[in-house]
Amino acid sequence: MPPKSLDLLQGTLDLLILRTLALGPMHGWGISQRIQQMSQDVLRVNQGSLYPALQRLETAGWIESEWGASENNRQAKFYQLTKTGQKQLRAETESWTRMTEAVGKVLRASEGGA
Amino acid sequence: MLSRLAAWWRRVRFDRDMEAEFRFHVERETEKWIDAGLPPDEARERAMSSFGPMDKHKADMREARGISWVDELVQDVRYGARTLTKNPGYAALAVLTLGLGIGANTAIFSVINGVLLKPLPYEHGDRLVVVRQSAPLSGQNTLGVAIAEYFDYREQADVFDGLVEYHQMNFDLLNRGEPDRVSTGVVSANFFDLLGITPVIGRTFVASDDVPGAEAVLVLSHTYWRTKFGGDSNIVGQVFEMNDRPHRVIGVLPNVPHYPQENDVYMPVLACPFRAAAERTIPQNRRAFGGLSVFGRVKEGHTHEAAASAIATINQRFTADHAGVYRTATSGFQATTVDVRSALTEGARELLLILMGITSLVLLIACANVANLTLARMLGRDRELALRSALGAGRGRLVRQLLTESTLLAAAGGVVGVVFAMATIGMLTTFVGRFTARTGEVSIDLPVLGFTMLASIVTGLLFGTLPALGTRVNLTTALKQGSNQAGDGSGRRRMQGALIVAQVAVSVVLLVGAGLLLASFYRLQQVDAGYRSEGVLSAQVYGNFSRYGNINALRRLYLPILDRLEGQPGVVSAAITNAVPLAGSAPGTTRFDIDGRVTDDPDRRPTTDVRVASDKYFDTIGIPVVSGRAFGALDTAESLPVVVINRSMARYWDGTDPVGTRLSLNRGETWLTVVGVVGDVRQFGLAQETVAQLYLPLSQSPFNLAGQVLVRTAGSPAGFAPLLRETVHAVDPNQPVENVQTLDDLRSEALAAPRLTATLLSVFAGLALLVTLAGIGGVIATSVTQRTREFGVRMALGASRQAVMAMVLRQGLVLVGMGLAVGIIGAAVAGRVLSAYLYQTTPRDPLIIAGVVAAFLAAATLACLAPARRATTVDPLIALRTE
Repeated sequence: MPPKSLDLLQGTLDLLILRTLALGPMHGWGISQRIQQMSQDVLRVNQGSLYPALQRLETAGWIESEWGASENNRQAKFYQLTKTGQKQLRAETESWTRMTEAVGKVLRASEGGA
Repeated sequence: MLSRLAAWWRRVRFDRDMEAEFRFHVERETEKWIDAGLPPDEARERAMSSFGPMDKHKADMREARGISWVDELVQDVRYGARTLTKNPGYAALAVLTLGLGIGANTAIFSVINGVLLKPLPYEHGDRLVVVRQSAPLSGQNTLGVAIAEYFDYREQADVFDGLVEYHQMNFDLLNRGEPDRVSTGVVSANFFDLLGITPVIGRTFVASDDVPGAEAVLVLSHTYWRTKFGGDSNIVGQVFEMNDRPHRVIGVLPNVPHYPQENDVYMPVLACPFRAAAERTIPQNRRAFGGLSVFGRVKEGHTHEAAASAIATINQRFTADHAGVYRTATSGFQATTVDVRSALTEGARELLLILMGITSLVLLIACANVANLTLARMLGRDRELALRSALGAGRGRLVRQLLTESTLLAAAGGVVGVVFAMATIGMLTTFVGRFTARTGEVSIDLPVLGFTMLASIVTGLLFGTLPALGTRVNLTTALKQGSNQAGDGSGRRRMQGALIVAQVAVSVVLLVGAGLLLASFYRLQQVDAGYRSEGVLSAQVYGNFSRYGNINALRRLYLPILDRLEGQPGVVSAAITNAVPLAGSAPGTTRFDIDGRVTDDPDRRPTTDVRVASDKYFDTIGIPVVSGRAFGALDTAESLPVVVINRSMARYWDGTDPVGTRLSLNRGETWLTVVGVVGDVRQFGLAQETVAQLYLPLSQSPFNLAGQVLVRTAGSPAGFAPLLRETVHAVDPNQPVENVQTLDDLRSEALAAPRLTATLLSVFAGLALLVTLAGIGGVIATSVTQRTREFGVRMALGASRQAVMAMVLRQGLVLVGMGLAVGIIGAAVAGRVLSAYLYQTTPRDPLIIAGVVAAFLAAATLACLAPARRATTVDPLIALRTE
């Protein structure tokens, strides 16, 4: 049994999807697999969050979808980043880094104080 | 439609895509587990369970996609319908209340549409005008046009396509079975052409039908042709006898309403013997036959104002030329034109607008009530709304949901309303038919349904918006608090209070109106008309002029009829006169001179209404003889000429006894001796003050009369009708007997219009009262439920049951009191529009207002009592535990 997986906050999932798609077009199942692999099984994507998130990102215009042949040669819906999606990814990555750093600083500071 | 189709298609495609995508996902996942070594079944199961509930994901995706407003609307409607069916009591009450309100409005509007709004059913109906002459200084609002005057207008006016004349006569039509008295329109040859009416069979009149010596011809109305001749298509060419001459039918009119009156048949002007005879006397009497109606069609490109001023100018010209006849300085004789459409409806316009105003008030009350119901229900829905808003429904979305529900209710109310209107429209048209000839065109047609739809939508928005304004749901408090305590609701409560005040105020206005009309009706009913109507049967026995052309001939008809009637068993007495009481149209104004007080000033000579009556008239109808005596068998053609006058006329004798004095109706040529004074009779309507009247004995009368036979019977007067007909036919088998009616029926007929007006308004006011009381009761009840805890605390702290009850009652009665105050002011203002319909009742009758206030307070107290009593039964312990 892998370590207990963490639930993803909504904004975080969006960021991860964008990041995954930065590597190239991918279908929904592939995205979930890749996030799981890249996080070494720590992050598990709930399908109930994944597909609505994809829909939301598409509505926002950050990604676009297209039906195509999958690796096992079946019809699958592939998502890929748009121009604005790439910009969004950069902006979100930056703000995420800043936030985690800030949270880290706080946590370290309180550890030091204890 | 196309956009809805497109939306539907997009939705179908979206769903299909989602399914394919999910399927692919599960298949890939299954493959993964198979690759990992699981058996296919297990792998599939694992994939499925890790994927989770597919439908839920789909719904989430749809929401993420953002759905179109159409989808949202469908969702709202579905949700709304579900909510409403879950509260059948609320829904039924709301739909019924709204249905009554909308139905009343629909019914009234259908009449307004048919009577006031629809164009006349004639070609160029909007260009038709009627010439209106009046003599305001003599108190005559409409004065028929005389033949010579019509000729002047016709020859001198150039703004019309044509001017035509019309008058109505009753003639006997002989040939088939019983002699038939037909109402006959006597019209110019181009009358139907001017109105643009083309016959369904045959032809209408041409100029050559209206020259001296032409063959007498008739055009039949569609209704008469259908009912009397069964729509016989061979009718044209058939010959009937009328006025002792053969008349040939030349055509049948289409089924259109006739204005100004419905007639059975039409004939050209010269075929009417009266009109023809009168035309020959014009040189001696310029105003000969002054009873014509004159219609004109204004030429295209000319305004109605131009037409009116042309007529006015011509009138001024001929009145100046014949100054001695018209005496415009004292009579104010003048002329103008009026649209035919408004002329036909002016009697009903005001009443209809009042009714429309009343029904809109009723609808407003219904709206306020349903708004209140909704508000009350929303107290219980706070948690639901809060939950929905927590789940991401925006405030706009919630408001829209509430509006959808209210519109659904209103639409259902609209359907109920149309059914209600269909059920009541017949009664309503009969009622309005007493004021206008145009009710034949009333129907529930497309414009009316459009109105109903609009009324429903506006209604829905109206009562939906108010509660929706109160949906500022405070999430945290609503979710934290128990369902009984949701929200502080103070804004909402204030709104409920305001709605109650408004409802009470409007109800008071309606109730006071109804009270005024009822009081007025009661007074009208109590009016002593001056005669005893019970036990008397009346019938029109109009001798046709061709056989009974003068008073001597008429006496040969009437006296034997009276003789035979008196010989019939069960007859107490029988008489003949020229108009039954309450049936007259306007009093005559014959000038007379009193012997010894003759004056030459034409304006100071008194006038009287001259009647002809047979011996037993006063006995038969129960008019008391005040002094002197009535006519008797001894007053014959050869004896001293005598008259009987009424009390009102006796006033001209300035307190001296008129009995024994003499008066003259012909400037002293002959003198008539006053032998008696009788009581006054309301000859022209119950509400009409009595006028000076003079009775000439039938045996001595020089004047013709259209006889009304009156029979006082010992038994039931209505049962005597067949015997009455038989008796008349024994004297002359060709003599029509018409309008056989008891005087009781005539009297009740005279009261029908005020009775219906009062009934209608009472029904509406009663409805308003009920709805308002239900509203008050409901609001107080919800407030009691909300305050359960507070009452518990109060009672735990020692408040008596009476104190709690008084508190609840006070809450209700303060609102009612405020409403009453506003309503009384409103009633004082609104009462004025009713004044034309009130008899001896002032619009501000303090007794009625006080009565309404007292009744309302009592009813409202009753309505609050049930919830108030419930407040006192609160068990403090339970109340305090309620959280």
